[in-house]
Amino acid sequence: MNLILSSSNIMQAGRQSVIRQPLTQKSNVELINSLRSNFLASQQTETSPTNGTDTNGQSVSHPRSWALQTEDGLYIPEIDFSQPGLSEDRDQYDITVKLFYLPGIPVSRRCAHTREAIDLVLKELHVKSIDLLIVSFPGILFDADDDSEEEDSELSNGEPDDFDSMVQTWHVLESLHEQGVIAQLGVAEFGSERLARFLPHTKVKPSVDQINLKDCCVVPKHLILYAKQEHIQLLTHNDCHDILPVGTTRELLGPTEKSGAGILASSPEANDGIQGDVEPQWVVKYTAVIKDRGVVENKGYFASAHVGTCLKDRS
Amino acid sequence: MGLLALGTALEWPEAKKKAGQVRQWGIEQLLANWRRARGKERDALLWGDEIEYLVVALDDAAKKARLSLAQAEILISLARDEELWKSGSGKRSATGDHEGEEPPHFHPEFGRFMLEATPGQPWGIGFKDLLKVESNMKWRREVAKAHMAPNEVPITLTTFPRLGTSDDYIQPYYPPSGPALRSQFVPDEIANPHIRFPTLAANIRSRRGRKVELNVPVFHDTNTPRPFKDPTVNYDLHNWPEDDDVRNGAAKDDHVYMDAMAFGMGSCCLQITFQAKNMTEGRRLYDQLSPLGPILLALTAATPIYKGFLVDTDVRWNQIGNAVDDRTPEELGEAPLKNDRWRIPKSRYASNSTYISQDPRLRKEYFDPDLVVDEDIKKRLMDGGMDELLATHFAHLFIRDPLVIFSEDLEELDLNKSDHFENLQSTNWQHMRFKPPPPDKDDIGWRVEFRSMEIQITDFENAAFSIFIVLITRAILSFDLNFYIPIQRTTENMETAHARNAVLDRKFWFRKDPFPRRVPRSAQHSANGSTFSSTTSSAINTPPPSPPLGPVETEFDLMTIDDIVNGCTDGSFPGLIPLVESYLNSVNVDVETRCFLASYLDLIRKRANGTLWTGARWMREFVAKHPSYKHDSVVSEEITYDLVKAVEEMTAKEGKNGSVGWELLRGKKV
Repeated sequence: MNLILSSSNIMQAGRQSVIRQPLTQKSNVELINSLRSNFLASQQTETSPTNGTDTNGQSVSHPRSWALQTEDGLYIPEIDFSQPGLSEDRDQYDITVKLFYLPGIPVSRRCAHTREAIDLVLKELHVKSIDLLIVSFPGILFDADDDSEEEDSELSNGEPDDFDSMVQTWHVLESLHEQGVIAQLGVAEFGSERLARFLPHTKVKPSVDQINLKDCCVVPKHLILYAKQEHIQLLTHNDCHDILPVGTTRELLGPTEKSGAGILASSPEANDGIQGDVEPQWVVKYTAVIKDRGVVENKGYFASAHVGTCLKDRS
Repeated sequence: MGLLALGTALEWPEAKKKAGQVRQWGIEQLLANWRRARGKERDALLWGDEIEYLVVALDDAAKKARLSLAQAEILISLARDEELWKSGSGKRSATGDHEGEEPPHFHPEFGRFMLEATPGQPWGIGFKDLLKVESNMKWRREVAKAHMAPNEVPITLTTFPRLGTSDDYIQPYYPPSGPALRSQFVPDEIANPHIRFPTLAANIRSRRGRKVELNVPVFHDTNTPRPFKDPTVNYDLHNWPEDDDVRNGAAKDDHVYMDAMAFGMGSCCLQITFQAKNMTEGRRLYDQLSPLGPILLALTAATPIYKGFLVDTDVRWNQIGNAVDDRTPEELGEAPLKNDRWRIPKSRYASNSTYISQDPRLRKEYFDPDLVVDEDIKKRLMDGGMDELLATHFAHLFIRDPLVIFSEDLEELDLNKSDHFENLQSTNWQHMRFKPPPPDKDDIGWRVEFRSMEIQITDFENAAFSIFIVLITRAILSFDLNFYIPIQRTTENMETAHARNAVLDRKFWFRKDPFPRRVPRSAQHSANGSTFSSTTSSAINTPPPSPPLGPVETEFDLMTIDDIVNGCTDGSFPGLIPLVESYLNSVNVDVETRCFLASYLDLIRKRANGTLWTGARWMREFVAKHPSYKHDSVVSEEITYDLVKAVEEMTAKEGKNGSVGWELLRGKKV
């Protein structure tokens, strides 16, 4: 079963989804808090008496009342895509999307995942294209001190994200670029060596390399020079690389007693919710900024997870 | 500083007779302009900073620093250069570091020892623009310096430490006690000779019925006499009727006494003006920035010395308020109301008293219950179609009299101009200013000016505070933040900000939860007035009733500046810096810009938590440690000379490698 989690517009959502503690560290607090607070808000709307003909709305452990089963999967919470996405004309905005491929998920699924994630964002914002897509491959850690990013095989569950698979994924993105869905492409956490290896394999060069810096004034000089030479803009971010681990997902969607959303069972075999293993597939973050005013009008996340009994089978 | 058109300026008795006409015409101009500009939409964010300088002449042989009255000559020289630049042959042509940048603009100020400089073109929000601000400020300083005598320097102290003393602190020297200011401490020549300025000073004094009165509490050091009686006051002067003021008790015990507009309007400030998307956004920013005024005043504190004495306050604000206070004894509440129309609680230069945003979060409890409003003007504006909130704001500003009236302007009302409106608007020096678009310039939109900050010694600091405020406005708009508190608490905070070391020692009223209440998704768009209509269910578009609001008193609390800037440890208020950081994490910022911004935010974070000193604290320590200081509160000529030299050095070296000023810029010597 496919689960589609969404945060809705977190800019207007109050403190839970905005403030990170501590602030300078990279984290997934924004993602987790914004999902949680959107679940809560949707549950409250559903159970509020003014809204209610649905008698099931009383019981938050009954997911159908505020989530919606469709042929794509179970939307948590339900999304009404008929609501307008942006308040001004499309050309007023810079829309940036960052797609996180998660560790342990077969590369073969990425083509479909990319399409799924981008489609959701386009539908949510009511736009036909995005300006910049940054992809984050699992297992790459940028180290500002020596500019040799490591491949953390432990974090990627024994399946290191090898170079060929990145190139393969990139070709999928290039086709979206050709179709006019994405204007510019970007990568995250690439050091200069990896960039130099990567570029010859691309038709559409990345125009952005997004890096996380502990102290943002320490950027390896050869990366700066190389990026300048190749016209690649170095942007900053503070997302953590394993943005949605399995345990966090179960906590987030598990029983309400443990401050979850009351969708999943507390463990794969328990019967206090949907049974089976949960496997997060991807996370996408989107941001719509009004260009000449620097105002962030819409920002949010979608995440996809599978739940079921045969998840370990990855043919 | 407003309009500098030439003409025949009316003296006060004549001007007073024409006050009603100017107000009336000003209101008609405002209405015409408001009708024309209220629908202006989608203007970009453009913003500008204003840096004000003191021009100081250094006499290294005599070890003296004096104010130079060379403003006019410097401006003429700058203007000549600007002409040359425009014709393409000038030495200021923008090459190298400033390629593509327009050369800066220079403007006269009230003090004849002052200069004001603004960027040649306004800044945008493109992050590359933010990187240019500091270097542009430095460029302005270089350009200004290049047009001064070799021994003159532009420095950015708020006030000159020995202005108004009995030494020869100005160059060329003029003795005090002239017909316009009638000050026993400063000559009329201290002011810009343009007719507007002496008239402004003279009419404030005439309207008030006596000289302006500034009593600043002295800082009692170990050897300062108690009670302290300002030794520089002359009780035996008989040049002008106003010389009686001191014999009538104008100079208070334990205070430093000053008696002229120059002591206030001779101060340098750091002011930032933003262009809003439309009038609605401008009104929102005006309201939301208002509670930040006193906070930024305390954070930028840089004014611990007046007339050669250490004082017990850290900022300039109230001194300027008193220096231009034209209220009569009746308006001040010192005499029963007979001739004047009302008691007025604040000077024309004061914290603001109105909220103007049509924001559902603006509760009636936030308004000033003592607001003085000209009801006839309010009615005229509302009859003309203006909503009550905005009409109230302008009807409040228009309780004042116009101070400088040129008789030529009273012949015919021109609704395509804004001169009469600006006459009142620009002599209401509140800490926020809401500016309608100029009627003759289509490309300028509704603007908001943030006016409370003190000028900082280095351009690094000035850039940091300017950019910080810009980023806060972006966070306010992006997160839909709510900083509303009852406006009287802001007035109170403004007083609090004056205390010595208020930045660390005092607490300020501030709103605890700045976030909007979460509106369920289905209600969001209908609440925003979207034209979207759902065919599926009408119930979806009906917002659920909001839970009732709690008492206003539970919404805000007393906080330290550290709490407000860096966040409360108990997690109640998130902190302005974390809000700005969250904003920056939501937009694409390149590495180099982020690095610059980090250094600016770091300065402000550390000023707030005490790691770095304010300018005021540094000056106090500088005086206290000076070998010739006698711990009697007196800041001598010698100390002043050394202070100015240190400030000059700090401007160049910025506290690097343990150089002077590291305590307020770096926090460590190495």
